[in-house]
Amino acid sequence: MKKLIIILGATVFMSAAILSSQAEPARLFLKNATIVPVVGERIEGGCILVEDGKIKAVGKALQAPADAKVIDASGMFIYPGFIDSYSHFGLAEIGAIPSTTDYREMGKENPELRVAWAINPHSVHFGTGRVTGTTTALVAPSGGTFPGISALVKMDGWTLPEMAFKEDATSFINFPMTPRPVGEGVAVQKEAKEDVTSKLVEKIRDYLKEARRYIELKKLAAEDPSVKPPEYNAKFEALGPVLAGTLPVIISVEKAKDIELAIKFVQDEKLKAIFRGCAQGFKVADKIKQSGIPVIIDSLYTGPSEPEDGYDAPYRNVVELAKAGVLISFSSGDSPAQGKDLPYHAAKAVAFGLSEDEAIRALTINPAKIFGVADRLGSIEVGKDADLLIATGDPLDMKTEVKQLVINGRPIDMSNWWETLYDKFKKRPEK
Amino acid sequence: MKPTNIVKAISAAVLILGLSGLLSAAEKPILLRNGHIITVSGETIPGGDLLIQGTKIVKVGKSLSVPPGAAVIDLNGRWVMPGIIDSHSHIALEGDVNEMGDLITAEVDCKDIINPQDINILYALTGGVTSIHTMHGSANPIGGKGIVLKMRWGKSAADLIFAGAPLTSKWALGENPKQSNSMGMGRARYPKTRMGVEESIRDEFEKAKDYTRTWAEYEKKAKAAKDSKGKLTPPLPPKKDYRLEGVADILSGKLWVRCHAYQSEEMLSIIRLCRDYGVKLVCFEHGLEGYRITNELVKYGVAISTFVDFWAYKWEAYNTMPQAAALSANRGVLVALNSDDAERMRHLFNDAAKTVRFGGATQDEAIRMLTINPAKIMGVDRWVGTIEPGKDADLAVFNRHPLDPFTVCEMTMVDGTVYFDRAKYLEERKKAEEEEKKKKEPEKKNEGEV
Repeated sequence: MKKLIIILGATVFMSAAILSSQAEPARLFLKNATIVPVVGERIEGGCILVEDGKIKAVGKALQAPADAKVIDASGMFIYPGFIDSYSHFGLAEIGAIPSTTDYREMGKENPELRVAWAINPHSVHFGTGRVTGTTTALVAPSGGTFPGISALVKMDGWTLPEMAFKEDATSFINFPMTPRPVGEGVAVQKEAKEDVTSKLVEKIRDYLKEARRYIELKKLAAEDPSVKPPEYNAKFEALGPVLAGTLPVIISVEKAKDIELAIKFVQDEKLKAIFRGCAQGFKVADKIKQSGIPVIIDSLYTGPSEPEDGYDAPYRNVVELAKAGVLISFSSGDSPAQGKDLPYHAAKAVAFGLSEDEAIRALTINPAKIFGVADRLGSIEVGKDADLLIATGDPLDMKTEVKQLVINGRPIDMSNWWETLYDKFKKRPEK
Repeated sequence: MKPTNIVKAISAAVLILGLSGLLSAAEKPILLRNGHIITVSGETIPGGDLLIQGTKIVKVGKSLSVPPGAAVIDLNGRWVMPGIIDSHSHIALEGDVNEMGDLITAEVDCKDIINPQDINILYALTGGVTSIHTMHGSANPIGGKGIVLKMRWGKSAADLIFAGAPLTSKWALGENPKQSNSMGMGRARYPKTRMGVEESIRDEFEKAKDYTRTWAEYEKKAKAAKDSKGKLTPPLPPKKDYRLEGVADILSGKLWVRCHAYQSEEMLSIIRLCRDYGVKLVCFEHGLEGYRITNELVKYGVAISTFVDFWAYKWEAYNTMPQAAALSANRGVLVALNSDDAERMRHLFNDAAKTVRFGGATQDEAIRMLTINPAKIMGVDRWVGTIEPGKDADLAVFNRHPLDPFTVCEMTMVDGTVYFDRAKYLEERKKAEEEEKKKKEPEKKNEGEV
């Protein structure tokens, strides 16, 4: 019986997908689903009314308006669409082919670069990356000390302006790592004797100081005609909102010692910071909590930062950070090709002790808070964007299928490169 | 040395070196009781027992009696499966595994560089992995020899070797031997095309045939000379060539060929080549486009050892899908899920769960892709890959079904010896961390006094 319901559900979804390629419906009505709104209690046999891309009503006994497109989601589970807190979606197609990658610019200081200038809305990885429920992703540049400015995008749209939720979501600073990674030319031996990290942090501070001076001088010149304004500097201009604390900055940092340095750095410079990585965060979880800096967890398909941390350190880390009260969110990491694994990283943390509820929050409302968009994303609440995932079961389970995504109130076309190949080759006659 | 450093060394020993004093059936029989036993060979037994004596599984069933002196482990409803077998790995080897300088390197052997201290052996155990096929890299059309190991953490290099497992020869096609990407960048060497890759294999086969013939002729003449009791002059032996001897071992079927390949056309072509020369081609490594040629793979009995969803890292890895493993298996291809990576190795059971969602594999088939299928590909299915009386007691215990998203591997056993026990690990870690804390406190006080 359960199977029958799922099949029936699937048929409805297929027709929904077909419809979506035609005119956009003004109203959408989802019914008979188990709704997990994230903020608020789970609703069995619940309904959601969507109007003009927003959630208009959520509840148990709602009436479908006559003009609404109705989706019967019997046997299905509806969650807010997941938010991937760090990705290179649309900036990389095939890792080994440089002509298809656009996330890493030359040089170390590129705070003015914007991924919004380079995202390919038709990258195959948007299609395959969302099959497990991601509806919004932070698309990040990488490399150097100041990689540039990320964008928060919805996982559907014909053009970037259609997809973009926030074209300038965050800036970045890659904090120096102790010990320096192999290949950066500093021997570990030398590292032990000299505090290379502190020196490199000083360099970053100097750079920010210069940027501050530039902004200060510009301001002075605007007020006082006798002051000569500085020559235009795109890099310092871009750092303006970072230094003013209006643009959040994601700081990549791994080791416990570096995390402590980074906290001090953030406080001294008065930045609105978000940490990314924090592989050894569990060692200084209380200090991170005290600083109020949230943490974006990197891919959990990874080993411990150091063997001494223990084999399960990556998962334990998440559990300890959450336990300390740090605001955490998950991300799929560096490869958009592995984007669909986002909820599976959360599952890995649950296996080692994170509560399922916290794991779901770290895929929805937490990243929405971290990126300052919780008024519009991250939960199923009236007035928020209708970004929903409709799944056959627990979306953290690899065996669950996300049947349909709704983005901005529209059931989107779920076809993707994998399905194209599958549809074609399962038709080859068997001999 | 500061006291904290000493403590750090102690806790590091626990965390890195694993645990001492673990249970072994070498001393007394072990009875695992009251677990879900995923036998793979037959039905899963709920509330089942499993008796181990020495290195072997002796009995599997319900309500087994406790033999005198046996250690009893209450599984309390946990799940036991055959130890996971990773048929494509590069761990437990010392240094680089790619012999980049030459095109053909059939003379080199992973057996010579086994590193029993590679911490990835411990990590393998924490993911339920008990046997691996560890191999040469993919820079060469015909690369070095690979070897099958058991994850006997703490034992010597020689003790890791899986006795009786067939030896293998690693081949590679496509972008890596072509040196299309970062591999060998900046150097020009033949081949640069898939044509050249195949030709270089055929070429080497002809050389090896000549070499074998020359030696056979020499031995014939030498024997004749010996038999003639001085009438005939003994011939001079030909020059020894270890490389060609390696290739000759491929031609004679002594080495099983494990061929790294992505594109379906290239795979078909190499199947034809192997048939031309009577070579035992066991398996395509990765084989990401294998789902396109399932009829041919089934017909010629060639398996696929693959990733479930690692893709798009290069052009030849682009035309694939996570449904590939399940689709191929459904059509009768022998499919193993492998890691090729020390990290992926420890969540292969999560990868297997993905084949249920992508491509619709049954849970039994998904488990087979981690156990009996790789065992068959590696030629060790007589000993491992299922839970049956007479087989090696290589087992992985999980707190939930291994395909459950929240499952954790709690205990791993090789040859009836527990090599990993999470409960014990956590206990010792807690002890070490508490001691470290205690040692830190007086230090702080001292700082205060100053």
